[in-house]
Order: sequence, then structure tokens, then C-alpha cells
Amino acid sequence: MNISSINKKLKKSFGGKFSALEQNGSVFVRGESSDWGEIVSACQTAAKKFSKTHVVNDILYTGKAPEPMRIPSVKDDSLDGKAPDVLIIGGGISGASIARELTKWKLDVLLVDKEPDLALQASGRNDGEVHPGIDLGKGSLKHKYIRRANRMYSDVCRELDVPFKRVGQYVLFRSSALKPLIYLYAFWRKKHDGIEDTKIISGKELLKREPNLNPETKFAMYSPSAGCVCPYGLTIAYAENAVQNGAQVSLNTAVLSMDVSSHNILSVKTNRGVIFPKLVINAAGVFAEDIASMADDRFFSIHPRRGTNSILDQKAGAYMHSIASVKDLHIHGKNHSKGGGILHTVHDNLLIGPDAVETAEKENTQTNAESIKTVFDKQTQTMPELSKRDIITYFTGVRAPTFEEDFILEPGRNTKNLIHVAGIQSPGLTTAPAVAVDIARLAVDMLGKSNTIEKNNNYNPIRKGIPVLREMDDETREKMIEKNPDYGEIICRCEQISKGEILDALKSPICVPTIDGIKKRVRPGMGRCQGGFCSPLVTKIIADFLSVPLYEVRKSSAESVINFGETKKNEGGDEA
Amino acid sequence: MTTESCDVLVVGGGPAGLAAAVSAHDSGAKVLLIEREARLGGILKQCIHDGFGLHRFGEQLSGPEYAERFEDELYKRKIEYRTLTFVTKIEKKENGRFTVHTVGRNGVSVLDTKSLILATGCRERTAKQVFIHGTRPAGVFTAGTAQHFTNILGLMPAKKCVILGSGDIGLIMARRLTLEGAQVLGVYEAKPTPSGLTRNLHQCLYDFDIPLHLSHTVTRVFGVDRLEAVEISNVDEKMTPIPGTETIVKCDALILSVGLIPENELAESIGVKLDPRTKGPVCDGQCMTSIDGVFSCGNALHVNDLVDYVSQNAEQAGKSAAEYSNKERKFVGINPGDDLLYAVPQRLNINADNGKTDLYFRVKNDENNCVLHILCGGKEILKKKYAFMRPPEMENLTIDFNSCNLNENSKIELRLERLGKGDGVK
Amino acid sequence: MTKELVCIVCPRSCRMTVSADGNETVVTGNSCKRGKDFAVREMTDPRRTVCTTVKTSFSYAPVLPVRVSAPIPKNRIFDLMREINKITVSKKIGRNDIVVKNILNLGVDLISTSNVLKHENN
Repeated sequence: MNISSINKKLKKSFGGKFSALEQNGSVFVRGESSDWGEIVSACQTAAKKFSKTHVVNDILYTGKAPEPMRIPSVKDDSLDGKAPDVLIIGGGISGASIARELTKWKLDVLLVDKEPDLALQASGRNDGEVHPGIDLGKGSLKHKYIRRANRMYSDVCRELDVPFKRVGQYVLFRSSALKPLIYLYAFWRKKHDGIEDTKIISGKELLKREPNLNPETKFAMYSPSAGCVCPYGLTIAYAENAVQNGAQVSLNTAVLSMDVSSHNILSVKTNRGVIFPKLVINAAGVFAEDIASMADDRFFSIHPRRGTNSILDQKAGAYMHSIASVKDLHIHGKNHSKGGGILHTVHDNLLIGPDAVETAEKENTQTNAESIKTVFDKQTQTMPELSKRDIITYFTGVRAPTFEEDFILEPGRNTKNLIHVAGIQSPGLTTAPAVAVDIARLAVDMLGKSNTIEKNNNYNPIRKGIPVLREMDDETREKMIEKNPDYGEIICRCEQISKGEILDALKSPICVPTIDGIKKRVRPGMGRCQGGFCSPLVTKIIADFLSVPLYEVRKSSAESVINFGETKKNEGGDEA
Repeated sequence: MTTESCDVLVVGGGPAGLAAAVSAHDSGAKVLLIEREARLGGILKQCIHDGFGLHRFGEQLSGPEYAERFEDELYKRKIEYRTLTFVTKIEKKENGRFTVHTVGRNGVSVLDTKSLILATGCRERTAKQVFIHGTRPAGVFTAGTAQHFTNILGLMPAKKCVILGSGDIGLIMARRLTLEGAQVLGVYEAKPTPSGLTRNLHQCLYDFDIPLHLSHTVTRVFGVDRLEAVEISNVDEKMTPIPGTETIVKCDALILSVGLIPENELAESIGVKLDPRTKGPVCDGQCMTSIDGVFSCGNALHVNDLVDYVSQNAEQAGKSAAEYSNKERKFVGINPGDDLLYAVPQRLNINADNGKTDLYFRVKNDENNCVLHILCGGKEILKKKYAFMRPPEMENLTIDFNSCNLNENSKIELRLERLGKGDGVK
Repeated sequence: MTKELVCIVCPRSCRMTVSADGNETVVTGNSCKRGKDFAVREMTDPRRTVCTTVKTSFSYAPVLPVRVSAPIPKNRIFDLMREINKITVSKKIGRNDIVVKNILNLGVDLISTSNVLKHENN
């Protein structure tokens, strides 16, 4: 599509409001609007799906200005003057997996994330599906990686000691008339696109396997290689293994600006000092465009897209054991996300969602009642038994797609010592293990132009996770408690988490001594009481471990105060 | 791994478990009590306010005082108990006995018992269960969690707070935080009537000029790190928020007292049938659940507002569990009628002694000037006049059902008759 | 003068009416003598029992639950709280033990309501 035909289309759809301009190989869309939806739709009009010519959104948004990026309050010089070989910006699944793959070489790797923990944005706020790729055709990077990465999952999760289950995915159809069409679709995917494992099964067979799914199902598309993983668990495991192999992870660390000269990033300014990296990897999720811009290499745009998931009680987990969603006619609808479904998680809850809503706010993860309703209305068609009463919590994540709806995995176009891992959205969790291998390879090649990069002979791919006592038989559990009696002291009654497991999390390679940090690692507070009983107990364990007063324990960030101090201020408090 | 045997195993060392253990022991059983926390006493450990024990002891005790009186009875009798011990699994054996697996700091134990008392208490409904939306900041607590921080750990979870729900714990926490120097901006209640005891409205709210807003609820929370404000909406008769009525109240804490749910995950794991109205097990006059040999009492059976009734009910469970023999049961149901929220027990075993059956019930709505009739096979066996009845205030009657010669076809019904004004109820 | 009151002596929460006519005070709506006494006192000298905690020097139980041995005048509640907040208990006292005798000269003692300090092994 040339620029004049883009402008013609823009004119047709939006009058003279927006115009496109070709610049440095990208299409810059300009204009002004107070309607974010209109801006997204103008850029989508200018974009070609999966194209390497990217649309850059330069439309002035005159609506309610989104909040600026949240910056951690901490300011120190703990990283000042560091000169790592590779600086990875972003501690999501992409950054963490790349960090780990890079430690296979003798490289000084530093990963920074502005959040108080890893995987706090999109990587920790999705449904954890390991996709089979049935909806992907040739021509995209998503497709290039999906099958290879899906197959890697069993090994990666075994090495990193992360629970992963190939539970299989069912796409339900309620109209027999569609059967020949879907048959051809699956056949084409197999023969043409290499999505080899999908097959069609009858409604009867489906209901035999999953009796609580919609009884009106006439047939279903079944992908046995689909699975589920704990997305933040995998991210943390990758990062921990990276640290064990010599990488450094610095949380609460935000990139504020860069010094770029003659197409090279010279230094990167953070709230914890100035860093002088040889190579920068941009894995900053919804902020990838901002990082690209700082690096003088903005050739794409991210349009944030919210999605909300609900988590149901483990009691509801017994209703079904795989991944399922119902589909009607429009397989290639306008909706760029998978349309959501029901997923039985590795922790035996059900996860319902997500929806997809365009937003100007990159960090707005506020939930709302409409999203929950939309998702439930849709998914009760997949499983009529579904009840909102089983909801124990819900959360919203913000995806980071480009207007081309594909990944960007390539060196900077203008800036040389930069690699972009951007536009990562579903199935980005699935593809991460394979993408990480290739990006690490690319980084080594780029660094290898000036130096020889040696293999790290001490690299150990094995990371031992924290033992999960509740899953052990009595004999094993007995032996564990004999060695460490803390394993016998249950702190979280809903999820049966012991004090020993919580202390293990505090002693883990990336210690995040907060209520949320512990919750993400060993799950106290994830159950039906949502931490009502255990949060005071976990607070005490953290305070004792850190030797700080109880009121210094935080929920997550430094500002997320749980208690304002002691009730009795008789030792010179601020009030009489 | 150790294996031991007892007659009655009590799960839970709160007020129900303690009373049940003492009562089972006094009825001649070898008792073992299992408590998951470090100390006995259950939730009463943190209920430092007074008002407990008026029925039972004729005194206004604080929670710890009430619980410790029962603990003393346990110690006096040298009843075996284990703290920091958690039941992981229960199995019913072919011989009718039970195997209970526990973990503790000493390892795994497998216990064999003739009967089982589940006194597992209840838990609080959470913000997400009442569909509060928005961010996930620190500063949103259930009342019980805030109470733990304040009364056990001596911490200040709030400086300027909003309380959602007028349940008793919410009211008690309003006063408690006020005493400790916090500002309580108001208590919001979605229902058109308060959920807590009337005297708590007076001594916890009105005494301190804390406003109560009925037919209002919190719909949204704001603040990324710590809570900064809440959105309050008016609700309609169905308790659905009315769009356009939202107001923002700046505060640093939201404390929720939005209901209690009996904890019956263990009960359910062995197939105990639950009553959807009480969310506790369906039981008979002996507190026996649908599974022979499994008894339930206290807040696990149904949420009580007075601990005195918990003790009374648990003593029944303890005695019955001690006397339990694998005799066939035949049931007649107790129908609570249209105006009562529920009645416990839900049924009677006609093969048992029902001479002194404690019946607990609540009305669905506020009632004034009414008569409760208890009918057995159409014949009235008891009637009682009430000047007023309120859903938060549980009623209790002791009834002799032996006198009405129960058989399988007997129908027990509770019926509420509303008297007009001036019909002279004393 | 007539006043509507809710009795807080017991959970029954009786709604009472008190009329003070010269020397005579008439209470209606009460169910027992204690309710009547409460109503009369509420008109002249309202009192409340205060339950709270005091700081301890023991990390396994940083605060100890306490209460006053008898109701104190309602308008002295916050004076009492300020006084209580100055105390630190450093002996392992038990339930019913006196923490402060005749606190603030109110004629009541501050007493411990728990044996928690005697349970060190948690």
C-alpha cells in the first residue's frame, strides 16, 4: 500500500482529519482528535497486517491526558557507572527469558524493571495459555515462532521447575453447517501452516471429555498441544535462573532518558544512576515505543489494549479441566485477540476472559463491572454452569500490540546498539522461549562484531523451585518437615502454604519481601479468603526475616503502606 | 509418621471447638482437639471488646476472657489438644471410622477416630466478592484483618477510613479505630436496614457521632499504592448501584464488614451436604451432618451473632459425638416457612432423643408485633410472641419434640403470624 | 423531658423511653432491672466500659488486651485512652491482673483480659 492510497482511505473514512506521511520507512499518521477510538481506527486504516512497514501514531490526542508513566520513588546510585554488555529494559516474560538465554555466554547482563517485582504488567496479567497456533497463518513472526516455542515448553518448564500442563484446547461450534468449513480450515492450517496437531472431534466426544461444556456443541476443534502455565511464575523462574547464572536484576529501576550520539546509545539514565551498556534490549512492553523514542529509533507505535480476567474458586475448577471457548461464524472478526475463553489453571482454578478494549492509558489496570459482565455473558455460552458467585478475584492487564498486530524482533533501524522485542502480545508468552533463544543469538552476533564472545561453561539451565508441600504425599511431606519444621506450620489455610515455603521465597535469588512478592512466589493470599487470614501472619514473617518493625512491611511498592505505625505511640510518635 | 486413635476428634480450637471438646470429654469420650493457629481461642483472641457471655455467665466479658474460660476447662480436664496443626485430609473408612491426616511442626500424623466434630468457623467475604472495582491498593481490609492488625499486632491500618457494611465486626472496628485515634468517616450499608446488633449501632457509632448511611455501597476504589478514595453509590431495592449517584470520598482505608461465610471445605471434601441458606451443613437435632459420625457446630454450621449460642450448640455437638453409635437415622424436615431466613437444625432424627432440641432461626426481614407458631403434623406445639424480630438477631428456642410422637410423616413447620397494631404484645 | 434510648446492657437491645418529670424518672420498654438502671444513669451520668490494648515489651505479643473494671464517664473515654497509651507492660501478667490501679482517679482499675503473655512459645 503506497502512501497516497493510505491517504485516500483516511480521507474517505475520516474526512480531512488525518493524513499519512512516509518517513524513514515508516508511515506517520498525523492529525488531532479527542476520541482515542478514532485515533486507533485511523492508524489501523493506515496499517497493513503483519507488515514490516510500521504505522507511527503521531496524532495529537486532545482527550483526557493519560497519566504519565509511574516512576518508582527510590533514588540512589546503586547502578551508577555500570557498564554491562547487555542492558535489558523490562522484566516481563520477554526480558526475563532473554536474560536467561544470554547467560549461556560470558556476558555481563543487567535487567532493569521499573516495577517492584517481575511480571507486574502484561506478563503477569494474562490467562497463562500456551497456545497451539491454530489461529495463525504464515507470514507473521507470531506464526514463525508458535510451533517451535510450544514444543519447547515441556523442556523449559522442566528445567525451570515451573508447573506446566498440556491440558488441550477446544473450540466449540454449535452449528453443524460449519463443519465442512472448519474441517478445511484445520486441514489448511496443518498442510499449509504446519499447525500439525489440531483435529476435529464430535460434540458427543467433547461432552464425554468435558461434560459441563455447552451441550449444544455440534463439534469442536481440538488442539492437544495447548497448555497452561503460571505466567508470572515462569517469568520469575527465568529471571532467577538468569541470576543464578550471573545476570543482575534491578527492580524499582526506571529508564528516564538516553544519551544517543552517531546512532549509538552511549548511556542510559535511570533513577538509580547512569548505565553505560554496550547493547540495549528494548523489552519494555507498553512502553516499548517510549524506549524506542528515547533511543532515537521510533519507527512503530503501541496501542494499549486492556483485557480483564476473572479467577474462580478451585471448587469451580472441578467443572472442567482444559481450555475451551465457543466460536460462532466470524472466525476472522475485527477482534485481534483470541476472544477469550475458559481455562483450567495449573493451580486448579478456572480463569475466565479476557475481553479487549482499546485505551490511551498504558498503566490503567483498574477493573470495571462491564468487563466482567461481557466476559461472563460470552463464556456462559461455553459453559452454562459458570457462576459469578465462584469469582474470588479479577484483574486487568494491558496488552502492547503494534498496529500491524505482529511482533517486532529486530535491531534498531536508526540506532545500532539496540534490539527491539516489541509489540509482544498474545501469543507472546507462548513464543517467549524460542524468541529468547534467537534474540540472545542476535545479541551475541552484534556484540561479536567487536569482541569474541565465549560460551559460559558454568551455565546451569536447572533452577530448583520452592517445594510445594501441599502436593506431596504424607511420607515425602514428613521427611521435608523433619528436615525443616517450618514446612509443617501452615500459614495460608486456603492454599495450604507453610512458613517454610514463605521463608524459601524470602531466600530466593530475587527476593521481593512484600506481601505481593510472596504471594506471587508461593501463593499465600491467592485463595478464597484473599489473604484475610494470612496477611497479618505473612507480615510478621517478613518483618522478622528483615528485622524491621511490622509497619515497615509493604504490600508492593515503597508507597503501598499497609499499617501507618503502631497504635501505641508512647515512644515519641507524631501525635499525643 | 505417628498414628493415634481417639473417640472424638474436634477440628478447630475456637469457642465452638473448645466447648465441644469439653462436652465430649464430660460425656466420657477420649477427645483430641486440632487447632491450626498458634493459640487456642479462634477469632475471640482478637475480639477484645466486651459483651460476650451475658447469657452464659451473666457477665460482660471480652472475647479473650470468654475463650480463656473455656480453655481453662480444657486444661483442667487435661484434654489433649494440638496447636499449629492443620488437617489436610479426612477419609471415611469402611468400618465407619475416620482417618484424619494432619501436618504440624512435628511432622505428619494420621489419626483414627470414631466421630468427628467440625468446628472450623467462618471467613469474611472479600472486596471482590461484593464486586468492588478499580485499582488494587494497600488499605482495603476485611474488618477481621484490620482487627488482627490492630488488636493482636498493635498496628494502625487506617487513619481516615470508610467502613462498608454494618455487620457487627464493622461497627466494633469503627469504635476501635476511633478510640485509637483514627477518623471514621462513615459506615455505608447496601441494605435498607442495619446488619449489626442495635446496641452496637448505639455504643459503636452514635456514641462517637459516626454516621450510618443505609442503601449506599462502595462501587470503586482509587489509588495505585495506598487507597486514596472510594466511590460511593446509592443502591435501589435490589441493592444494585444507581448510575449517576456516585460520590467520591477521600480516605486511606476501606474496611469491609460484608458478611461471613461458614468454612466447610473439609466438610465438603467428605461429601457433607450443605444448606444453601445457611451455607453450613444440613444437620439434625444432635448436630450430626448428612454423613454419619460427622458433627458440625458454631459458625461452621451457621453464622451466629452471639458466642453464647455457639457454646450451647457446640456442647450439644460434643455430647452427641461422644454418644455416637452407628444407629440408623430417620428424618423429618423442619420447614422454616416463607418469613424465616433459615432454621437450624434443618431436620430431626426420629430415632434420637429430641426432648430438648435447641432451635435457632432468623427472620428474613424486620418484623414487629408477631407470633411464631411451631406446628408438628398440623398441631401447634409452641407459640411465642415477639415485639420485634430483626434478621441480625438470631432467635433461639428449646423445644420438646418427643411430646409430639414424631414419625416419618410428621411435618414440622415454623409459621410467623403478623399481628396488627395494638394487639397487645407485651 | 422524654428521651428514646436503646439499651446497650445486653444484645436484646431494648428500645426504651425515659421521662424525667421533676424528681421522678419513668422508664418504659425495658425488659429488666438492669435496663432501667442503665436508662436512669444515661440521663444523668452516662458511662461506658472501655476495652483496648496496652503496649508490652514482648515481641510475641506486642499488645495486651485490657479493660476498665467498671464503666467510666463517657466524656472521659479519650482521656483514658491517652493515659493507657503511655503504658508499657513488661511483666508477664495474666488475665484479671491489674495493670493500673485507680486509673486517672476514676475509681476503676485497668485490668488485663488475657493470658496471652503467658504463652511465649508461639
